[in-house]
Amino acid sequence: MAVSKIVQLPTANRARETHEPPSIAVARRHHATELVVRNVSKSFNIDRRPLPVLQDISLVAQPGQFITIVGASGCGKSTLLRLIAGLDRDFEGEILFGGRPVSGPSLDRGLVFQDHRLFPWLTIEQNIASAFSSRPIDTATKRLLVKDHIALVGLNGFEKAYPHQVSGGMAQRAAIARALVNEPDILLLDEPLGAVDALTRLYLQEELQRIWLQKGVTMIMVTHDIEEAVFLGDQVIVLQPRPGRISKVIDVGLTQPRDREDSRILKLKKEILGEFHNPAPINYSI
Amino acid sequence: MQLSPAFGWLLKRLPSLLSPFILIGVWELVAQTHLFAANILIPPQQVFRTFLDLLADGELIDNIKASGARVLSGFAIGAGAGLIAGMAMGLYPALERYFGLLFTVIRQVPFIAWAPLLIVAFGIGETFKIIIIANAAFFPVALSTLDGVRNVPRHLKDVAALFRFDRLALMRSLVLPAALPSILTGVRLALSRSWMIVVAAELFAASSGIGHMMDWGRQMFQIDVVMVGVVVTGVVGFILDQMLRQVEAHFSSWKLPSR
Repeated sequence: MAVSKIVQLPTANRARETHEPPSIAVARRHHATELVVRNVSKSFNIDRRPLPVLQDISLVAQPGQFITIVGASGCGKSTLLRLIAGLDRDFEGEILFGGRPVSGPSLDRGLVFQDHRLFPWLTIEQNIASAFSSRPIDTATKRLLVKDHIALVGLNGFEKAYPHQVSGGMAQRAAIARALVNEPDILLLDEPLGAVDALTRLYLQEELQRIWLQKGVTMIMVTHDIEEAVFLGDQVIVLQPRPGRISKVIDVGLTQPRDREDSRILKLKKEILGEFHNPAPINYSI
Repeated sequence: MQLSPAFGWLLKRLPSLLSPFILIGVWELVAQTHLFAANILIPPQQVFRTFLDLLADGELIDNIKASGARVLSGFAIGAGAGLIAGMAMGLYPALERYFGLLFTVIRQVPFIAWAPLLIVAFGIGETFKIIIIANAAFFPVALSTLDGVRNVPRHLKDVAALFRFDRLALMRSLVLPAALPSILTGVRLALSRSWMIVVAAELFAASSGIGHMMDWGRQMFQIDVVMVGVVVTGVVGFILDQMLRQVEAHFSSWKLPSR
């Protein structure tokens, strides 16, 4: 069902693998992209007192899966993604990617922040190319990859624009292109559509879905929008705040792309919404 | 009604041009009261005539060139050293822990207070003047560079970590552009201080330069020459400052909408 119009760039993929023949490399790559989060807890020290932000989080992301994590503010969603990305190594429990513990950032794991975090002094094109800084690949391949990813997120014609010259939604697309240009196995999205207006948001949700189908990359997206979580996720994980803990895991079991008005989607939305009314719902009937 | 662009430009700057003219007017009025002797408070027209004379015989230009050359070499050495010191302390906080105190104490000494010591050590030649200018240029650049490097936005450092920037990419794509506006402010400050200090140092000991011209005018009791020196020092300082403001504005244009 995946719209496999993936532009093949063999040199770029080979550059990351070491000396394995392509067939083994592909097999290993496929096998090596499962993400396992096991019993992860994390606290911050506020005024010398530990404040728990994540408690006993476990999840598994299969290669190519779209997982959405939904929760209110302060439930540690962003922290969880930072841990998976390797930006923060101070936690209890285990995070394994491809069977190996995560020990720091890696180009195999991309991250898109809520704010686009483009370098304001670089053009859209240069920003996307900045992702190659630690990869010794030739200029021609770089140019081709940047061009392809600009097309993927629909930013043709804005290559030479600076971030402050484009809208928030466009800057976020550029950030998504930058995160994807190294062809990571997994893309972590930290409320990427939280800062754009409602109409752009609906549009970008569909764009994100298209990109996911086109690239076949595993995605883990954090959001506080229940509809967004159900519309996009193969699996929806509901987090409760203070400290952040998993209260429910829902396998959506619908093929993508989906219809927002599908009765099953609406039913799931209602079910998840119920999760956020902690005490039993008040009975209003007299 | 149509206004020429030049007229519009003039109209916009009228308020700032007004105050110098008021000053000259008051100066002229006070001079005409003869409250002070005419050879002490020189009337504006006479200062202007002296200015034209000094300009015509090339003396003024030669002196500006002499002062400018000293500023250029002293500033280049001082600002260069300041840039390196600021970068080093910004990138390696341990260095700041070792040298921060010394740095702060030395910074409190007025630049001109080094003059007697430097004259004893190096004589009254060029070396003394270049060192004292370099010292004046060093601190603003070092401090603003340190500040710029230290305040590279944390949310962009995350991006650099995420893409595993090596040292070169970190400097070129993040630290230098992020610190550039702050560094340029320091450079502008350093250049105007260098210009001030060269005139001051030349008043002490020199055989050329604007400061020397003023000191010579004082000794010959030609107060009009001293006045020309004061005005020229101010105008040259103003031009240097404006030029660097343009450079600053150019390199900070991206800065406006970012956090």
